Amino acid sequence: MITNKKYLVGVFNDEHTLVDAFEKALEKGVVIEEVYTPYPIHEILMGMKVKTHITYAAFFYGLFAVVALLGGMYYAAVVDWPLRFGGKPFNSFPSFIVVTIVATILIITILTLFTFSARSKIYPGKKAEIIDERATNDKFIIVLDQGNMGMEMPEVTQLFESHGASEVYQKEANSY
Amino acid sequence: MYKTAVRGKLIDGDKSLNQISTDILAPIEDKTPLWWYAAFGISLVMFIWGAISIYITVTQGIGTWGVHNSVGWGWEIVNFVWWIGIGHAGTAFSIFLLILRQKWRTAINRAAEAMTVFAVLSAALFPLIHMGRSWLFFWVFPYPNTRGPLWVNFNSPLFWDFVAISAYLLISASFWYFGMVPDFATIRDTAKSKVKKAVYGFFAFGWTGSSREWLRFEGLAFVLGGIAAVLVVSVHSIVSTDFAVSVVPGWHTTLFPPYFVVGAIFSGFAMVLTLVTLMKKLYKMDDFITKNHVDAVCRILVFISLIMGTAYITEIFIAWYSGSEYEIYMFFENRITGDYAFQFWAMFICNALVPQLFWSRKVRKNLLMVFIISIIINIGMWFERFNIVVTSLAKDYLPSTWAPYEPTIIEVGFFVGTIGLFGLGVLLFFRFLPQIAISEVKMVSKFNKQTTDHLKPGHHDYE
Repeated sequence: MITNKKYLVGVFNDEHTLVDAFEKALEKGVVIEEVYTPYPIHEILMGMKVKTHITYAAFFYGLFAVVALLGGMYYAAVVDWPLRFGGKPFNSFPSFIVVTIVATILIITILTLFTFSARSKIYPGKKAEIIDERATNDKFIIVLDQGNMGMEMPEVTQLFESHGASEVYQKEANSY
Repeated sequence: MYKTAVRGKLIDGDKSLNQISTDILAPIEDKTPLWWYAAFGISLVMFIWGAISIYITVTQGIGTWGVHNSVGWGWEIVNFVWWIGIGHAGTAFSIFLLILRQKWRTAINRAAEAMTVFAVLSAALFPLIHMGRSWLFFWVFPYPNTRGPLWVNFNSPLFWDFVAISAYLLISASFWYFGMVPDFATIRDTAKSKVKKAVYGFFAFGWTGSSREWLRFEGLAFVLGGIAAVLVVSVHSIVSTDFAVSVVPGWHTTLFPPYFVVGAIFSGFAMVLTLVTLMKKLYKMDDFITKNHVDAVCRILVFISLIMGTAYITEIFIAWYSGSEYEIYMFFENRITGDYAFQFWAMFICNALVPQLFWSRKVRKNLLMVFIISIIINIGMWFERFNIVVTSLAKDYLPSTWAPYEPTIIEVGFFVGTIGLFGLGVLLFFRFLPQIAISEVKMVSKFNKQTTDHLKPGHHDYE
């Protein structure tokens, strides 16, 4: 559902001031909607308390792929149409391993990419919901939802400015 | 932890984040230089020659080539292995240097990954056309088909090769592409022209740089990086089994998989060096690709060159030590001396001896020398594959089947065509895509300012 939301945007010039302000804001109980940065910053990713399970997902894709591939090759070479190749047994398991490894890697990659695309909502044709377009270049942006900031607006503004924000402004944007 | 005082600056010129974007995106924003059109024209002509050669091959058959019953694998397999080898550098750069926490990779990995994609694409053409009736290539896929439920042979290295190369192409292309998504967003948000905003905006997939996106992006890079490292080693090992599991003298050796993998990384790094010196000279990327970067790649090449030399000598020693007269003949009377002595010594000198010049700091600092040696290594690696493929087949067990091999103009054209294809790909990449990973370079730019004690210990980049 598309709703119109009012945001308070704090703009910072470098990683150091951003992390400083971010941590101070969290201490004071400010609710942070999102942080936009030109590159990943560890403290922010930890502080936002969002977890990703993409690595676990990848492990299970791998497990599924190994079973499916070995099962598939067993079915083809033993059950469906057994053929002797150079006197080897129908189920010449060790030589199936090569295909299993490589195709498993391929399947993990494809499924993890789709998972990433679905969970992060990064897909072809998506229109970017940009709050401040300098965030992909050289600014570090903290965005607060004015309806739920955990603190009054003047205090938050003061907090950001005292911790090195180059500007603090309000913005209305669609939220999905 | 990266110590700038010890290891040197990763980025010269004390740039702001905005300058980093502007400088890296300059080739996309500026007017196309004249040399680019010239290089594009030459590549296009080469590509067209290749396309004509492929057309003749497909319409008239493999009879237009110089291959025959004895030497069934000619230039096509030589070139296939050569290109695949070159294609190994991208992933090796991105993954191995990522795992080893080498921060200097950030300036080079994008170009290496791009090169990988075009090299593997060129490589894949050779087995495809070599099939003869290439329109039936889908028979390689494992499916119960119309000729009865006849499956492919899962024990065959040729089938392994098909799986490995398809996987490698898909994975390296997606790794390259997803790495560029944040940079496409940077272009979208900084470009002035509306067309550019729309086009790069489409390719940016709606990226905004939010913490949720970065979190999953890091997770994705971690997963892809971890599993692609296995792939780098396995793909060329599989290519080597195409040879090693046959009983042809000179091929039937357990040394082949590591020898091929190391050789592949060797030629790939050399090609990266070629591209990087071009980027430095033609696009003035000196501030990002500093002399330390070139120096680091050169030092890796000295090390790999020593491994190559060791492998060549081990092969010769084992041929003698085995006491097999066929092996001894192959190495001592067919390669070191005899009809193919030139190719053998070209390989040995280009790969094992010439790169030793990189021991000298003076040579490593001379960009022209570095460029020339990188080309020499790639020529040497081509001769290595020629040595392996052709010499063994031309004179195997039965002297009555001995036959010399010479490529026809069609085969030469096919090879030239793939060089043209590679050239076109790289030129388009230089012109329209961010040559250096912008977001990654921004991430390491903070190490330049470390003396001001910006970052707290415990930050993951400090490990």
